[in-house]
Amino acid sequence: QSIALASHVQQKQPDDTKVASRQLKDVLNDLKTQYGVNIMFELRTVEGISVSPENLSSKATLEKNLENLLRPLGLHYKKVNSNSYLVLGEKKAKKVAFFDSQLPESAPNQEQNPLADAPVKTSATTALAVVKTEIAADPITGTVKSQTGETLPGINVVIKNTSKGTSTDANGKYTIEAPANAILVFSGIGFATQEVPVNGRSRLDISLVSDNKQLDEVVVVGYGTQKRNSLTNSVAQIGAEEIARRPVSNIQQSLQGQLPGVTVLDQGGSPGRSNTAIRVRGITTFNINGISNTAGTNNGTGGYDMSKNDALVIVDGIEQRLADINPDDIETVTILKDAASTAIYGSRATNGVVLVTTKRAKGSKVQVEYNGYYASQNSINKPHMMGIEDYMRMQVAAYTNAGSPLPARFTEQSIQAYITATDREKYPLPNTWFQTVLHSAPQQNHTLAVSGGNEAIRTRLSLRYQDQAGIITHYGSKIGEIRLNTDYTISPKLRVSGDINYRYNYSQAPTVDPVNFFLHGSLWAVPKYADGTYGLSTQGNNPLMYAEIGGDSKRSTDYLAGYVKGEWEIMDGLTFSTQLAGRGFFTQEKNFGNSYVNFDRNANVTKTVANNTLNEVRNTLREYTLINLLTYERRFGDHNVKALLGYSQIGNTQTFLTAYRERFYNNDIQSIGQGANDGTKSNSGNDALYGLRSYFGRLNYDYNGKYLVEVNGRYDGSSKFTGEKQYSFFPSFSAGWRLSKENFWQGLQKTVNDLKVRGSWGITGNQSVNLYSYYASLAASGYDFNGAAVQGYRQTTLANTNLGWESTTQLDLGLDASFLRGRVNLTVDYYKKTTNDILLNLDIPATVGLIAPPQNAGSVENKGWEFSLNYRGAKNASGFQYNLGGNFSINENKVIDLKGTGPYIIGSDIDPRYIIAVGLPINTLWGYRTDGLFQTQQQITEYKATYAANTKPGDVKYIDANGDGKIDANDMTNIGNTFPKFTFGLNSNFSFRNFELNLLFQGAAKVDTRLAGALAEMGNQEGFTHSLYTNNYWTPDHTDARFPRPLKFDLRNVATSDRLIIDGSYVRLKNIQLAYSLPAAIANKVRLNRIRTYVSATNVFTISKLNEWNLDPEAGSGRAVYYPQTALYTLGLNLQF
Amino acid sequence: CDRELLETIPNDRLSESLFWKTENDARLAANSLYTDLDSTNLISWDAMTDIAHTNQPFDVQAYVELGQYDATSSKVFGEWAKAYKGVRACNYFLENVDKVVTTNSALINQFKGEAKALRAYQYLKLASLFGDVPLVTTAISLDDSRALTRTPIAQVWDFVDKELSDAAGLLPTTYAAADKGRITKGAAIGLRARANLLAGRYQQAADAADQVMKLGIYGLNDSYEKLFSYAAENNKEVLLDRQFIKDTYPVNTFNLLGPYSQKSAQSTYVPTKALADMYETTAGKLITDPSSGYDPANPYANRDPRLRFSNFLTGDPLPSGITFRPEPNSGTADAVGNTYIASTTGFNIKKYVNAEDYANPANNGINIILLRYAEILLIYAEAKIELNQLDASVLTAINTVRNGRTDVKQPSISSTATQAELRTIVRRERAVELAFEGVRLFDIRRWKIAETVIPGPVYGITYKAANGALTTVEVVAVNRTFDKSRHYLWPIPQKERNLTPTLSQNPGW
Repeated sequence: QSIALASHVQQKQPDDTKVASRQLKDVLNDLKTQYGVNIMFELRTVEGISVSPENLSSKATLEKNLENLLRPLGLHYKKVNSNSYLVLGEKKAKKVAFFDSQLPESAPNQEQNPLADAPVKTSATTALAVVKTEIAADPITGTVKSQTGETLPGINVVIKNTSKGTSTDANGKYTIEAPANAILVFSGIGFATQEVPVNGRSRLDISLVSDNKQLDEVVVVGYGTQKRNSLTNSVAQIGAEEIARRPVSNIQQSLQGQLPGVTVLDQGGSPGRSNTAIRVRGITTFNINGISNTAGTNNGTGGYDMSKNDALVIVDGIEQRLADINPDDIETVTILKDAASTAIYGSRATNGVVLVTTKRAKGSKVQVEYNGYYASQNSINKPHMMGIEDYMRMQVAAYTNAGSPLPARFTEQSIQAYITATDREKYPLPNTWFQTVLHSAPQQNHTLAVSGGNEAIRTRLSLRYQDQAGIITHYGSKIGEIRLNTDYTISPKLRVSGDINYRYNYSQAPTVDPVNFFLHGSLWAVPKYADGTYGLSTQGNNPLMYAEIGGDSKRSTDYLAGYVKGEWEIMDGLTFSTQLAGRGFFTQEKNFGNSYVNFDRNANVTKTVANNTLNEVRNTLREYTLINLLTYERRFGDHNVKALLGYSQIGNTQTFLTAYRERFYNNDIQSIGQGANDGTKSNSGNDALYGLRSYFGRLNYDYNGKYLVEVNGRYDGSSKFTGEKQYSFFPSFSAGWRLSKENFWQGLQKTVNDLKVRGSWGITGNQSVNLYSYYASLAASGYDFNGAAVQGYRQTTLANTNLGWESTTQLDLGLDASFLRGRVNLTVDYYKKTTNDILLNLDIPATVGLIAPPQNAGSVENKGWEFSLNYRGAKNASGFQYNLGGNFSINENKVIDLKGTGPYIIGSDIDPRYIIAVGLPINTLWGYRTDGLFQTQQQITEYKATYAANTKPGDVKYIDANGDGKIDANDMTNIGNTFPKFTFGLNSNFSFRNFELNLLFQGAAKVDTRLAGALAEMGNQEGFTHSLYTNNYWTPDHTDARFPRPLKFDLRNVATSDRLIIDGSYVRLKNIQLAYSLPAAIANKVRLNRIRTYVSATNVFTISKLNEWNLDPEAGSGRAVYYPQTALYTLGLNLQF
Repeated sequence: CDRELLETIPNDRLSESLFWKTENDARLAANSLYTDLDSTNLISWDAMTDIAHTNQPFDVQAYVELGQYDATSSKVFGEWAKAYKGVRACNYFLENVDKVVTTNSALINQFKGEAKALRAYQYLKLASLFGDVPLVTTAISLDDSRALTRTPIAQVWDFVDKELSDAAGLLPTTYAAADKGRITKGAAIGLRARANLLAGRYQQAADAADQVMKLGIYGLNDSYEKLFSYAAENNKEVLLDRQFIKDTYPVNTFNLLGPYSQKSAQSTYVPTKALADMYETTAGKLITDPSSGYDPANPYANRDPRLRFSNFLTGDPLPSGITFRPEPNSGTADAVGNTYIASTTGFNIKKYVNAEDYANPANNGINIILLRYAEILLIYAEAKIELNQLDASVLTAINTVRNGRTDVKQPSISSTATQAELRTIVRRERAVELAFEGVRLFDIRRWKIAETVIPGPVYGITYKAANGALTTVEVVAVNRTFDKSRHYLWPIPQKERNLTPTLSQNPGW
């Protein structure tokens, strides 16, 4: 007896078949395709039956058609779930072949990574080969029931590792011939797959556990996958659905607020150059003077390079940049948090690992999917300038307090003229930039994906186009992208996959950043006169002019990544895989500064940019990765063993080239060869090489799924170190105990379905130091004698040949529980993470006379709690269903050792000042404490300690902490936290019939922001002056004012102090989305499987003390000169056919 | 597989192990030592004295000027670090240069002399700013640096004197054209004169200055006005300068100092009324002297021509073609109070601001003079006066500065002047002759007059207001303080003491 798959094996047609009538089997297969559902039937039941298709109507529902088709034949159907139907006859099932052209999602390939390893083991049910019945097989019978005792029809029963199988009949009964030592695999939609060894029995009654998605979920881990319920580590994962829910321009944004222990700092950023950082479990390290930030990324960190804290990002096995990945291509994002899960990545793992897997083709049906949205971006932070009269009167007070004569603009006559003026070209308002320069701007994104294939080849092809305009003119970005993911099954034991991803990213921004001038140095300028010329501030600035005619920086990046992966199942359970990947970046950038002259006839100010300039940049990166893995998985009775051995190497080459010329014929001639060919032209560049070689392994053992143990180790060698420090070993151990599987738990099983406690310990490393830090070298340093340049060489940086790895020891204790039949899931983690030998560019004594090399010095501790609670509701009778997911994290960060050096303080009085000192969190805000304002001269005399010599009533009273009668640096103390102690997110999802509503709240607490620049200076310099100051500054008649007396050109009252610290805690409705899906019946009529349309809004509202300053809580401390954060209003569409 | 994977060799730097082989390596290393010479930062020192002011209140050095600074000041640390960077380079050079294999030992000796003189230059500055400082004479390791202590200033001066004497013995008096700008015998001796004057070792100072004078190759440039122009580069008055070339290794004096109306010029440091008032009238008398011929209604006329040569004054033509009009509300960008970038005193520095640079204000090639012959003459005169050796050579030295050029003809000093009178004269002469050349800060410290000349408001130009009244500009919100118990020396940077706990602090800090 042979078993065959109908859709691929031509059945011989009976000779007498009438042309008009067709085989029932074929008609059913047509219906499958037409309605996109799964129709299962026993071959015997339908064999030889002809029908005439006139009973069918393409306009009727599937149910109606089935009814019309089957009833006259004495057959009926049963709907087994929303997408599957079972055709049943009267006769008893004996030997059957079942048809399954489209593999149900819960088919027995669950424990495989559905992406990287999709075809594994599915060959049993999908192979083309016709398999002969095993000899010495005896019939086995049985009934399959659910946990609650109802019989289950349509459950697949397959002999493991063969293509032989059957399915249960209407009464849940099955019969199959199988060898006595076979293993039967029971699977069905909505139920957990179960494997049962026959062990010589002839009757096997099975009870299937209803599928608890959370528990059975396959989680991507380092170099493999694991079932969630066997995890002993701290891992968080979100899937395509959650990612797709929020229209975003990059994937980091979709992770925000979704996962405990993961802090996403979305600091806005201009289109295509956005600035988003992911921190896993706090900050572990810091860099004192390695300020190597590229443009615009220093917001919030005040000059420290915090990029060393970025998590390692692995996309389909290869290290890549997260920001580049198309969110619509992503199947899952997994964050590995504790050392036990990350140690397999050794030296790059300290800051956590983000694993991304991209979507691959599933099933054989060709599927086309379109996701697109159109959005409008609007600035959400528009600080309010004081009213003109209030502002001018405050200036009068400031000049008067400073004892200096009033400039002509602020005489009473002039003030009246300004107030009453209607001609704002002659009498301009002081600052209108937030109103005149910012505008709403469109953003659109489209992804079209086609996937499908057969048992031998499956591919998924996707195209993406994104166009984001700037909310300031001359900003913008465009992305075009192609991805092709392909899987070949050469034989059941040999599989090959290959992916190619090409992306083109173009972004544009003005060469002179206009944003700084929204707040600084641009008062009293008319944005643009009627004749097209620009107004200028006394300093000659106008942000609109800079944006429109200052010249553009144009950056194009071509990104290409691809890999080939082969997998060979050497023997049962033993698999070898090898993956060779390459990726490359090719960036070219033209930064052209226009030359122009703009004369403001009213202000009598001329802005002259004498020379146009071009700075051209070429940057390339090439990297290859080779990964060889040997995995072994076997069950010995109750003992499950899984082992992994691996080798990998990474080689990276980068080249950098810049060229500069100036004085082009005009601003449109932007070719480097056309600039002045004289001494002003210059070029520069360098190359860099980097290599990493690693050996790693993992062993998982569990006893009956009850006691779980995992051991990891990685031995990494890096070219960034030398000598005996070149290699280092990173081990980890973890263990779990599923209490719920113990006998004593049975009474509790109904309430707490699953409970696991787990613990892990491990060491990971960080190798993020500049290349060649150990290398004693000389750098070029030229001079000139008598007008002619000469070359020179000198030492610049101290070499540190003892440089070694930074290592983090992390302890994690966790608990996973599931209640109410899996509807409620709780995860709790406690962690303590100690980072030692931090790689620091510590200050060294300047007497050495060289730039500090990175050193291994100091320790930082992060400890905290993470809670995640999810509720998955059932659909009630009226079709209402809801899910809730909340997460909450606590992180405490502390520097515990600086090897006797430090404290390290950077910043100044006018910009945020940060300290790194033992006992304090990294980058604590540092400054004076204050005690209100001096009210009388007598108070000042009595207090003695004043910041400025001639302190007067209305000035700030800085606290003389050490009581020495002076206010100086010794009186400074910690005045704020820059990294939030608490972060949280609340995700809720409601559906009612075809409607769906999603809400995402997200926030942080115990975090501070420090005002600087114009926001702090209260109009004492020549900057923007916030309306908050209106009538709220000290005067002899208004002594209980919030702010001190204004004092022109004097900074005494805005020295770095707690007065400038604002509580940065916030709660934000990050996203709200309302979606409507067309009913399947209607969608089917237009030959679509799914039509879903939605409207959504992001950054809808925020509750924060920073609101009154119109500052974004995610932007951090500083002068607020970042590209404004936006709110998005989106209209989106998902189609599937 | 790839055996070289972890043994990458950089191509953007040169391994030390490949260097120090040839004579040319020694030359290349010696060339790089010159980049540690001071540049426009020496003008910033004057802006912490009575004769100039830091224009923008949020400039880090404005806090030093106001007396509102402590050991964490980044200005203080910056000068410390810059000097030790230069010390390191010289130490490293001197430790390694003998590895070079060559028969031309004279050349190697010359390079050694350059390194020794350049290292002494840094210590001269360090001792003047900080007093006792760690005397580092080898290329120290990180561990060495953590245990340094401060060497008493007298020993530092001894070292500087000895090193400069040694250097003078190794260095030629002149170079071929291609090497013009390297440190010479005359420069080494001249620095020795300066160091000994600062150390109060007047006899050595006078002797050294005399030695320079006797070399017979230096003299005053005919024109004071043109002394800081391109045409006068490498003239016979210059003993040592920091050399620049436009485009390749440019300096930005025009942008830094020029009046705000001149394209992107920033008026970073501006002269004060205190300086302007020190210039005599053409009669050789102070403006306070009723017989001086000074006209309060026309304060800048009839004055020592160096006033107008060194400072932009009302009515001066500017490179852009307009006239300098700094009076408040004058309607030009330079008007006092127009913006904080415009000069807040109404004066602008004119030295090094050359009209040729207007086209490209941030890309200038003018050399910054570090030591010139006029200073040697004044060192000689001052040392002799302090020694009370009041012979004719003293008067000759002073009078040469006062009227030895074609465009400066101040009357000669009377031969009947007393030591005290001469002391006053030579001190004022230094202030006006050497204004904005980085000597004033050390002068007011060693003369102990900072406590009287620094405190109080800062004043600027005097002009006729709209109502006809003569009005003097007072800089808004500036009221300087000077604490004589500590401000005569800068504090040892706090950062440095945190890292090297064995470093003591100066008194009062």
